[in-house]
Amino acid sequence: MHKRVFPILLALSVAAIMVLPSFAQQTGGTLIIGRGADSVTLSFYASAAPDAEVMGHVVETLFRLTPDGKIEPLLAESQRLSADAKTMTIRLRRGIRFHDGTAFDAAALKWNLDFFRNPANAVPFRAILLGELSDVTVVDSNTVQLSLARPFVPLLSHLTHNFLGIHSPAAVERGGGMRPPTGEPYGRAPVGTGPFKFKEWVRGDRIVLERNPDYWGSEKPRLDQIVFRTIPDSGARVLALEAGQIHVARAIPPRETSRLAVNRALRVDRAPSVRTIFFGFNVTKKPFDDVRVRQAVNYAVNKRAIAQTILGGAVRVSDAPISPGVWGYAQTMTYPYDLQKAKQLLAEAGYSSGISVTIHHPTGRYLEDAPIAAAIQAQLREAGINMRLATLEWATYLAFTGRPVDQNEVQAYMLGWGTVTGDADYGLFSLFHSSQWTPAGFNRGFYKNPQVDALLEQARGETDATKRAAMYKQAMDIIMKDAPWLFLHSESQLTGVRREVQGLIVHVTERMMAHFASLNR
Amino acid sequence: MLPYLAKRIMLAFPVLLGVSVVVFVMIRLIPGDPAELMAGQAATEEVVRGIRESLGLDRPVIVQYAVFLRNTLRADLGKSLFNGAPVTEELAQRLPRTARLALASIVVAILIGVPAGILSATRHLSWVDSAVMVLALAGVSMPIFWLGLNLILVFAVRLHWLPAIGHETWKHLILPSFTLGAASAAIIARMTRSAMLEVLRQDYVRTARAKGVAEQTVIGRHALRNALIPVVTVVGLQLGTLLSGAVLTESVFAWPGVGRLLVDAVLARDYPIIQGTVLLIATTFVLLNVVVDMAYAVLDPRIRYE
Repeated sequence: MHKRVFPILLALSVAAIMVLPSFAQQTGGTLIIGRGADSVTLSFYASAAPDAEVMGHVVETLFRLTPDGKIEPLLAESQRLSADAKTMTIRLRRGIRFHDGTAFDAAALKWNLDFFRNPANAVPFRAILLGELSDVTVVDSNTVQLSLARPFVPLLSHLTHNFLGIHSPAAVERGGGMRPPTGEPYGRAPVGTGPFKFKEWVRGDRIVLERNPDYWGSEKPRLDQIVFRTIPDSGARVLALEAGQIHVARAIPPRETSRLAVNRALRVDRAPSVRTIFFGFNVTKKPFDDVRVRQAVNYAVNKRAIAQTILGGAVRVSDAPISPGVWGYAQTMTYPYDLQKAKQLLAEAGYSSGISVTIHHPTGRYLEDAPIAAAIQAQLREAGINMRLATLEWATYLAFTGRPVDQNEVQAYMLGWGTVTGDADYGLFSLFHSSQWTPAGFNRGFYKNPQVDALLEQARGETDATKRAAMYKQAMDIIMKDAPWLFLHSESQLTGVRREVQGLIVHVTERMMAHFASLNR
Repeated sequence: MLPYLAKRIMLAFPVLLGVSVVVFVMIRLIPGDPAELMAGQAATEEVVRGIRESLGLDRPVIVQYAVFLRNTLRADLGKSLFNGAPVTEELAQRLPRTARLALASIVVAILIGVPAGILSATRHLSWVDSAVMVLALAGVSMPIFWLGLNLILVFAVRLHWLPAIGHETWKHLILPSFTLGAASAAIIARMTRSAMLEVLRQDYVRTARAKGVAEQTVIGRHALRNALIPVVTVVGLQLGTLLSGAVLTESVFAWPGVGRLLVDAVLARDYPIIQGTVLLIATTFVLLNVVVDMAYAVLDPRIRYE
């Protein structure tokens, strides 16, 4: 169980920029990565991808999600989940030290997990990652036992999450502690066991990491330094890459890819992402309380055309609520573009004379989000659906769509969700279980189906992987038919990389991993 | 002069107090909850509530304002809601970068704008005049994004003469200061031209020429000095605008200054950073206005402040 072999699609879904044979690899050099946003905190209080990708180099997790989609032990040596899925015993690797020289052992791990799960510390991801953890016991200096309140199989996946990277307890104390809500002051200079040590952070500008010469792993880091530079403008990021001032440019605009394709000094890497983009319907409000209307919208939107024209083919049209990079993914029924069928369903629902609706969407948050919304508006008009677009900046948007059901005026909203633990539970439970209606969770359309609820709950406790996968498949088939979303696509990550860079991994969880990368000079 | 200066500076306080009230109330009226943004997409209601309480955002606005005012008078602008860094520290780190960029840009603008304006005025209605005015029009209307990215494309990507982004050395300063200074240069050129045209028609200029003073001296000493009053006013206002942070230029050149800090803070609803930055900008404008008024007295002996 602890080395689940994921389906072949999962292997394809993680793009590793190929590591050349080891004789070509050189040591030394500084790799400069340009990205659009700076990190906020490098502590347990992290809440977004720019935090996760830096932390992944400095602090390590007990287990890791490999580029080909397996879960492997990292700081752990092995684990065993009891038959009732309520106790997990973890043996730790011996002889690992934090960057400050203190030992990583069972006591250090317990300190970390206890801090994370203590409600008084108000860690943002506490409930979602370790909400089911009821006790941590030190068995001996290299063994820890985790007790769960309820059977919870996804725990292993959750322990791969970067926000659960293990920090040096001594360094946290010396650094003045991690205080809510931002993990200050320690969160500015983390100390872990990873292949790179934290060196410097100039806010809004750069984060510098340096090689950990004493790294415990058999594969050693080669680069002297990794620099994460903040370059907010995507056009400038591309130009800095072309000028050779940075080696890697994250999140390249799709329209730039054809121009860059002819440049021999660099390549454009297309890696899939576990982020799924959708329009959620408020199923408690007219007209989307009628499943036929929701299905009609799914039929009336030509998702393939949007993927090709607006996104230059840089996305994958959804055939399930989660993407192939996630364990538990299975292809479900889909809604091919069919205008006649859409009109027919609308007529059956009593809307043959057309409907007027308002759709909320953010701008600048997801790849080409506003143009996509405009394209959908045009396509729906063909089916007799008159859609008014309400474009909102992100903060306002979250506030509008996050109101409780009795105050929520939103009819439909555009959102994305990244299933970053690589397990279906994370991608389905928070979004479709009825206990997760906003503001308690992320079910912002107030979808409720007792059958789906039951399946998602059962799957959490099912230790047999085959049976568990079947439960998710069944739940997703029901969700697809109920159509609480307009299912759009999963995003791709477009990354510009200079030729001299080797061994870089653009992970499906939207992190850039340069742990064992090198620069050919 | 000194009593006048003291009076002007005293008058700044009510202005700044007014600014602080307006900003404080306005950012709390717009929708969007910093606690929810901080907690991230996956957070539960309980986490968001916890954050709101720990930041004191659950207290009445009037109480929050009183706390803010008391702390500000003690030179404590609070801490960023987002990363916990003290606002004064954040501003102290970013203001010198913005100041460097603003000063370089205004120097570029003056060095281009004033000679261009003089040239244009002295060759009134010639092709030189038309060319300068067309260029000036282009300078004001060129979008900063377009100009900045094109300068990077030519000088960093094609010619490899200058770095594309960053703020470390004097070389990094060249492209952004041209990008940012272009519009100001155009405005200064137009202002210099019209002021010079007016002065050149004055009797004392005709008298100077009549008594055989060299043309250079007529332009430089007799005309330009008298034409400078409106030009100085424009330069002062432009410098204020540049110092309050050139958001677009800072974004294009990855120049982490005050402008970007403010925009990021608005998007994140980082109240203390917004308040601190706006107060800083307001103070800058008020002080620059005083400096410009003082400069009048230096330029024109008839102006005296009692």
